Amino acid sequence: MLELQGLTKHFGGVKALNELDLTVEEGGIIGLIGPNGSGKSTAINLICGVYGETAGTVHFRGVLMNGKPPHQRLRAGIARTFQNIRLFPELTVWQNLWVAQNSPQDISRQRFLPRWFGTTRQARKEIADLLELADLAHKGDELASNLAFGEQRRLEFARAAAARPLLLLLDEPAAGMSRQEIDDLGQRIRRLRDSGVTILLVEHMMELVMGVTEQIAVLNFGHRIAFGTPGEVQSDRAVQEAYLGTDATESGPAGGSA
Amino acid sequence: MIDFVQNTVDGIMFGSSYALLAIGFTIVFGVMRRLNLAFGATIMLGAYAGTWLHVHYQVNVLVIALTTLACTVLAGIYVERLCFRAVRRDAALASMVSSFVIWMQLEEVAVHLLPERTYPFPSLFVAGSFEIGPFLFRAEQITMLLLAVVMVGALHLLLHRTRYGLALRAMSENPQAAGYMGIHTEWVMLCAFALVSLVGGVAGYAILATDEQITPYFGLWATFKGLIAMMLGGMGSLPGAIVGGLVLGMVEAHSQWYLGNEYKDLSAYVLLFAMLVLRPGGFMGQRILSREELAFRRV
Repeated sequence: MLELQGLTKHFGGVKALNELDLTVEEGGIIGLIGPNGSGKSTAINLICGVYGETAGTVHFRGVLMNGKPPHQRLRAGIARTFQNIRLFPELTVWQNLWVAQNSPQDISRQRFLPRWFGTTRQARKEIADLLELADLAHKGDELASNLAFGEQRRLEFARAAAARPLLLLLDEPAAGMSRQEIDDLGQRIRRLRDSGVTILLVEHMMELVMGVTEQIAVLNFGHRIAFGTPGEVQSDRAVQEAYLGTDATESGPAGGSA
Repeated sequence: MIDFVQNTVDGIMFGSSYALLAIGFTIVFGVMRRLNLAFGATIMLGAYAGTWLHVHYQVNVLVIALTTLACTVLAGIYVERLCFRAVRRDAALASMVSSFVIWMQLEEVAVHLLPERTYPFPSLFVAGSFEIGPFLFRAEQITMLLLAVVMVGALHLLLHRTRYGLALRAMSENPQAAGYMGIHTEWVMLCAFALVSLVGGVAGYAILATDEQITPYFGLWATFKGLIAMMLGGMGSLPGAIVGGLVLGMVEAHSQWYLGNEYKDLSAYVLLFAMLVLRPGGFMGQRILSREELAFRRV
């Protein structure tokens, strides 16, 4: 579904990402992990078009994405969340979701006027479903800026899902969350996957990554150093070295869930 | 007392047009954080197209009104293409400077279209004025007020009840995130320019139909009034633009009556100066200022 070939990004002299090859199959939950500064966020930003790549290609469902602006990539089916929450604070929760309904199906199904100047019943129903998924049904008319931190995180998750993406990029969705919230998030991610969304999860929190992903790619210093199931990755020597330094041999990767 | 009330009423009626001009500035500023200095010239050029029609062919007033609005919208789109779309996102100063250049350009076009200094502009109504009790009302001014109320109402509905309006507001709050949510930011921006040009065109038409004459300096005049009203109310705030426009209209009306015509503009500048010193955010801008501070702190 998503194919990265030789994806490279240099910021001045800094090689943030170096010749990353990665294939994401449809219907899976793929984890992308690595120590700080290993290029995870750069990879996500390149996939959704925040900035241009130095070299390499991004193919999504066989279509070359290089050079396309973010809104076109979203309409092709790539949505994302942000590491630091970026909601529309002066819109209500409901409006945050409404304004994000920009999938190609929405655009072709709804004609121009009803799309921009009204809401269809189906659009309303989808928003209601998403509010329920994000456990925000009772907060629909609240301004996004008035939500608690955990609720804002859930809203951002729901907003990305509102675009009905085929591929959802989650950039550290568990940052700052409690254990209970992380468990809920894991379930929500699985529910979304079960509804047909492929998920690429960038995360520090090993409990979440090891718990929900089926395959994990590990980056270090902009290079991919391992790829495999959670079990394989945990026992990979290069991964252990990346996380714990060269002396580590017995313990698993950081995070303590191993 | 009667004078005071009469002045206030006059001020509110004329101020409603200032409010529309200020709305034009404030929407663009709120969404792009950029000043569109060519806004007044845009309106002037649209009105000149209408005047040209009026001078060369004796056509219906309605046709002239529609021509004015259509040409204002076209000129607004032209400005967006040339100095806001073409200039990169972070070069706010560059697009402000280039909008100033476009202002000069549009003024040149108007002068070449109709080279004389002033031209008559058709008024909407023949019947001029009527009295209610001790108060005098001019039909044009009431039309002006009604048009402004209708425009503001329509704008409010558009911004709060439609997906387009929400997309525009989302962009003003976080342009990047709006892009990643699939909002075609350039298209929304272009429509915003067409929209504010329409609003400004209505205001310009109402003002010119009241004055019954037009000069190329109308662009400068509209820019001044709109900018002052916007800064009084608070940059980027829609309610602020309305309040600022009404206050500006009232202050001008009172100072014209009590101090004389030559102090009309001066009092507006004094008011603006006092406002910028005492309350730099304007009437309604304080909240926006603090919200931005909040956003910075969050980042």
